[in-house]
Amino acid sequence: MPDTMGYVIVGAVLFALGLIGFLTRRNLIVIFLSTEVMFQGVVVNAAAFARFHHHLEGQAYALFLLVIAAVEAGLALGLVMLLYRRKDTLDADAWSQMRG
Amino acid sequence: MTSTTAYVLYLLFALGAAGLYLLLPRTGPSKTAIGATLGVSALMGVFVVLGTHSSAERNDVIYFYLFAAMAILAATRVITHPKPVYSAIYFVAVVIAVAALLVLQEAEFLAVALVIIYAGAILVTYLFVIMLAQQPGSPIYDRRTREPFLAVVVGFVLMAMIAGRAGELPARAAEKAILADGGRNPATTASLLTGNTMAIGAAVTTKYVVALELSGILLLISMVGAIALSRKRLTSDVIRTPLRTLGQIGKEVEPF
Repeated sequence: MPDTMGYVIVGAVLFALGLIGFLTRRNLIVIFLSTEVMFQGVVVNAAAFARFHHHLEGQAYALFLLVIAAVEAGLALGLVMLLYRRKDTLDADAWSQMRG
Repeated sequence: MTSTTAYVLYLLFALGAAGLYLLLPRTGPSKTAIGATLGVSALMGVFVVLGTHSSAERNDVIYFYLFAAMAILAATRVITHPKPVYSAIYFVAVVIAVAALLVLQEAEFLAVALVIIYAGAILVTYLFVIMLAQQPGSPIYDRRTREPFLAVVVGFVLMAMIAGRAGELPARAAEKAILADGGRNPATTASLLTGNTMAIGAAVTTKYVVALELSGILLLISMVGAIALSRKRLTSDVIRTPLRTLGQIGKEVEPF
């Protein structure tokens, strides 16, 4: 098995699956779960390249990525609860009329 | 990787895209069986292509295939399952499979951190929100998707672009070359001598110490933001009602 190639492909597949979920699903919670799937793809990629280059930068980046994921989850779920209280639905299309 | 292999990979991705398109929730007659067959055969095909291009003879290859398949199948279920609770549970499977892949990549600390933070903390938050906000039954927005065809095309074109280039990576440098390097790269030497956790700790607290402090500030800001977003707004008449007498405060708490 070409070591890094296999991991890069798995990372790409996970990222693309998350992207598809993000674009197609209409439930706000599932949309944010899809972003977490994308994060997993990036983590696999970062670790694969850390090993490929024989240094720890990729792993350190992946560690900070975990911080960003935690921040994103906290804020996103707070937003989801706010939006759910406003319109009593989790449908993202309910907010398609939103204007800035 | 030859260009023939790349085209075989593209073909397999197209097959997987068709399978995923059929698997996405829809209102009409369900074609889940056909979609699952197409998707699994595409995954098998990709693994066969990877296996035939084997350059390293390691005995943990089987684990790579096992956990890669687990991660991809569970991720597919995350985005195709019509019930958000099951999506969240399948996401736990994705996290565990990715953690196993990280262990195979000699990133043990990252693997443990991933399981603790994702499966332990973030997923519990998600489940709480699902329990708080989920409506009874299966609402229409969980059973229909928005522009599934275009999204699948976009996602798989991106996947094919990344994966097609992945074969052009040069072969990995031998481990011995690093050891013979004479410790010019302190992080690598530390990693080989003391283990992954200590090496990451050293890197994070020296080279990335500014980023570490910034991520602490970021976490604090997000905590303040989350509290500010999800607090309950009080209407003005609630505020104007006279407070209870001192001895009664906190004794009659209305249930949520």
